[in-house]
Amino acid sequence: MSVISLQTKTRPIEAERPTMRLVASNPPELVSGLDDNARFRSIVMPHIDEAYRLAQWLTGNRTDAEDVVQDASIRAFRAIRNFAGGSARSWVLSIVRNTAYSWLRKNRPAEVVTVEDLEAVELQQVNPGDRSSGTPEAALIAKTDAEQLRAAIAALPSPFRETLVLRDIEGLDYREIAQATEVPIGTVMSRLARARHRLIATIGKE
Amino acid sequence: MTRSRSDDNSALLVHAYLDGELDPANALSVAQQIDKEPALAAEAERVKALQQSIRERLPREEAPPGLRSRIEASVGGLRRDRTGPSWRALAASIALTAIVTSSSTWFMAGSQQQPTMIGDVLVSDHIRALMAPEPVDVISSDRHTVKPWFNGRITSAPRVVDLAKEDFTLIGGRVDVVDRTPVSTLVYRRAKHLISLTAIPAESRFELDKSPRTVSGYNVVQWVENGVSYWAISDLEAKQLEDFARLFRTSKTEL
Repeated sequence: MSVISLQTKTRPIEAERPTMRLVASNPPELVSGLDDNARFRSIVMPHIDEAYRLAQWLTGNRTDAEDVVQDASIRAFRAIRNFAGGSARSWVLSIVRNTAYSWLRKNRPAEVVTVEDLEAVELQQVNPGDRSSGTPEAALIAKTDAEQLRAAIAALPSPFRETLVLRDIEGLDYREIAQATEVPIGTVMSRLARARHRLIATIGKE
Repeated sequence: MTRSRSDDNSALLVHAYLDGELDPANALSVAQQIDKEPALAAEAERVKALQQSIRERLPREEAPPGLRSRIEASVGGLRRDRTGPSWRALAASIALTAIVTSSSTWFMAGSQQQPTMIGDVLVSDHIRALMAPEPVDVISSDRHTVKPWFNGRITSAPRVVDLAKEDFTLIGGRVDVVDRTPVSTLVYRRAKHLISLTAIPAESRFELDKSPRTVSGYNVVQWVENGVSYWAISDLEAKQLEDFARLFRTSKTEL
């Protein structure tokens, strides 16, 4: 028996074929009979908590997070008929994420991290996850307090932060994260590993 | 930067392993590597400690009470974007994209283009079934109804098992055509996910292509038993699909 779960970096992913995912589950006929408000209530409203938490991690505070979620909800409502199945949670979170980045570009342009910035940072730094030296023991990591953890996560560049938050806080699987953040699964894997390495290194320094 | 590419890959695989994202074969091989290599074992311990700390120390805050009502109020007066595609137009584009992107080999089947890839054909059948009003031609959760339905439609009697207790509900069956040969496909449901399970007699003339990992985002599990090649296709997580395959193989509740 052979089974597949892990898509490799080079494999095409859902983001490149969004319409394919649309067919995958939640057959459209299940919601097609509903009016837009009913659709919105069944697709978007169940995910407001996750939306709010992601927005909070991306904007850094509660007030801005509320604004972002409200704005994202309006965008989601306008696009509600574009949702035709698959993970509603990923769909909602991708809209929240895009709204949050628009908001940041407008209000705090200095904080927006582009992928190019990220690559430059990666090249300059010795990978903090380097196993040769300076990595703390698991026991030390287990003792980190909430404030330390929160600060370390908040300090991550946003592409790492969102990936880590969606996996280790919200519990999305790689495929859902790939959909929500619109990158291939291979990128999800490497960002997640880097995010965790950075957190571990930060914790080790304190 | 002294880490080699293979070190990096091993580290990524350790993370994927701890996240439950590897198929059983890869999971086993990573587990063995962790056992052998102290560096990987330490990496695994650190990641586990980090995940546990996050889980235990960072409470998941709920949205403030007023937010939901504010959202409902702001959305209540809106109309959706009329310039967006209607569902019908979208459905048509889905159908078209599905045909264009995934089933070129299906359309080419029988032509000289390239050997038919069974996985592609069956994923196309699965997708087409999802678009049809019903994904099955005989609707029944009773295997005593589904199995006889295939009599006279295909040349062998398919194995049909009841997995309702394991939360895989039989919803019916249909006949798919692979390389002009009619074959039986059973359809099971878990939550909102459908699984198409096709049985192809191994003596049929087409070659079994190497089982693909995923086809167009669908997971594919393939095995051969008693001269029959089974293909399970679903958007279900690979791990659950593999569970389904294992249960189907080992189930005693056969007709």
